[in-house]
Amino acid sequence: MKLLNGTRILVLVSLLLMLMLSIGSAGAQDTVTLTWWTTSGRDSPEPAIRNVIAAFEAEHPHIKVDVSIMAEGAYNDLMSTAIAAGEGVPDLAWYWSNNWLPQALDITDRLDNDPDISRDIFHTEYFNNWVVWNDMVIALPYDIGANFVMYNKDVFDDEGVPYPTADWTPEDYIEIAKALRNEDKRRWGGDRPRGPFRALWRNMGATNPYSDDSTTVEGYINGPESVAAYTWLWDLVDSGATPTPADLEVLGTEGTGPVDLFIAGRLGMATLNPGSMVSTLEAGVNFGVVPEPRVPGNENWVHGWALRAGIWKNSEHPDEAWEFLKFWNGPPGQRILMEQGLGHFPPIPSLLAEYEHADTEWYQGFLTVLDATQTASWRKDHPCWRGAVIRGVRDAWDLIMLGEIERDEVQATLDAMVEPGQAALDECVPRLGG
Amino acid sequence: MTTQERRDAKTGYLALSPWMVGFVVFYAFPIIATIYFSFNEWTLAEPPTWVGLDNYVRMFTRDPLFVSSLRATTLFVIISLPTKLVLGLMLALLLNLKIPGMNAFRTIFFIPAVISGVAVSLMWIWFLNPDTGVVNTLLSYFGIRGPLWFWDLHWALPSVAIMSIWKVGGAAIIYLAGLQNIPAHLYEAAEIDGASKWSRFWRITLPLLTPTLFFQLIIELIDAFKIFTEAYVITHGGPLKSTYFFLYYFYEEAFRNANMGYASALALFLLVVILSATVFVVRTSKGWVYYEN
Repeated sequence: MKLLNGTRILVLVSLLLMLMLSIGSAGAQDTVTLTWWTTSGRDSPEPAIRNVIAAFEAEHPHIKVDVSIMAEGAYNDLMSTAIAAGEGVPDLAWYWSNNWLPQALDITDRLDNDPDISRDIFHTEYFNNWVVWNDMVIALPYDIGANFVMYNKDVFDDEGVPYPTADWTPEDYIEIAKALRNEDKRRWGGDRPRGPFRALWRNMGATNPYSDDSTTVEGYINGPESVAAYTWLWDLVDSGATPTPADLEVLGTEGTGPVDLFIAGRLGMATLNPGSMVSTLEAGVNFGVVPEPRVPGNENWVHGWALRAGIWKNSEHPDEAWEFLKFWNGPPGQRILMEQGLGHFPPIPSLLAEYEHADTEWYQGFLTVLDATQTASWRKDHPCWRGAVIRGVRDAWDLIMLGEIERDEVQATLDAMVEPGQAALDECVPRLGG
Repeated sequence: MTTQERRDAKTGYLALSPWMVGFVVFYAFPIIATIYFSFNEWTLAEPPTWVGLDNYVRMFTRDPLFVSSLRATTLFVIISLPTKLVLGLMLALLLNLKIPGMNAFRTIFFIPAVISGVAVSLMWIWFLNPDTGVVNTLLSYFGIRGPLWFWDLHWALPSVAIMSIWKVGGAAIIYLAGLQNIPAHLYEAAEIDGASKWSRFWRITLPLLTPTLFFQLIIELIDAFKIFTEAYVITHGGPLKSTYFFLYYFYEEAFRNANMGYASALALFLLVVILSATVFVVRTSKGWVYYEN
């Protein structure tokens, strides 16, 4: 009897254990682990990224997010390799390269049919220019930025120069830079633009380096508006009011442009970005923000950008990945990142209004800049403009920067760029399109 | 073949196998893949498309950047290679002197050869800054206005060459090993015969050092053709493409222009150039390299 009881007990315990195990394994099967590759920086520091994930996992206990936060160089290598191999691409990733976009899942239907999120919450320019590709929504935007001119109010006051306003012209820029130049204080008035056919070129009417149908550079590279813009650059270099490329290379911080010179009060004006804005704020510099200057009558352009997170098209967990994507890019995740990241600016206007310095003059200037038309609206359909065409005609830029040509040689120099520019365009368009 | 020989052969192959696996996986396969991709158009995101000889036709007939980059690289090789070989040898002769503290000198001269290329580049940006750099400041004491160095059309490439030559300590250490392998009795005998220092160098040191010189020539030749870091970190290929080196062009095509097929063709061309130059040096070595045995 005792043995029977013992056997019964053993059987009961075994059954109980099996039941518990089966419940446990059923729970484990329901838990999905997503892989998410990203990078971190001042605008998205690692603790903030992990806090967003923790908040998401608290709301979605059946989804775990296995995040890999890496340095940008390693990230690019790993993503490129995984995409080229066609395997090992994470469920979710930061799709910064246009070349990776064909690998991103089309989320148009999910976005349009999900009651939790809508494309209307996002800044229209940033949404249309950065996550709509071939008429599909292939990602959601986060952490937007733009280039704008920052001016050091103390330097202006020191030299008795009035602050620039949003309607200033490229000629104003040179005149103000000259007025701010102070050799005794080793101070330059303003910096030099980074390259042609960016926002400033468009503000001067030189919209594109080649035709909209991507067939010719003749009349664009060397058109009257382009000549005028390059001549303006020649005048700026000739003014002596700007640091040389050598000065910028040495005195600017790697990858951040001339922000250090600006913060040190050695540069009255500089074309910078939101990250620089936060650094300047932290340094206690009294500054203002205006759009890049433009010729009256031309549209106001801005070089803006947004990071974009997307789902891999071969992900085994697209539904769960979508849940995370809309959390990360939507108000819950973006609010955490804005509050915990330095200079993280969400692409959601209602959240931008909650920024801690929202009532300051410089922040309002920044918001004005965000509303300008983006150069990306053209560039995203013309992948050949930077990698091929601008590289092919870079010599004209260098010649002016080096002071190697006279003012009346600008036209002839640009005429000479037509042949290499056309060759670069003809080679690139069949390959990359646009 | 005896049992013992078979066993020895097995052991030999077993010992070789890690290297063989490494060679196949990390060298042979990538080279074969590069050959294949050079006949394709490939943007990474889409599968490669076969284009036959298109990439090579473009390279040899209608690519001005190919010509610019080849010109800049060849010029760099012509400037830096002989200079480095000669200076390396001179430095090694100095480091072979028997004076107090020589080990410290050897260490000091060797340090640049082991510092990361990026760190060296950043340091030279400071050294050669036209306004505040050490070099131009020193020149100004003699009333000389220094050039813009990396930012001067005519000085950018020589500046990169100077940087490269600055790392000559690595070569000097190899020469030093060669110098110390020359039997002392040869010098003693020459001295007894009344040979001058120059004669001893010319008739003993140099001939017996030719195997080391040969080795250094090949290593430095390959290294010079692979110049990249300085262009990437400092000059970005400018100004006016004066430092637009071949590997920098390859990098831009592959990783900025998403043109893997063409980049593969460029890489193969560089491989052929380096291989040809190396074979040429090896073939001619019979006439000038002296092996004691």
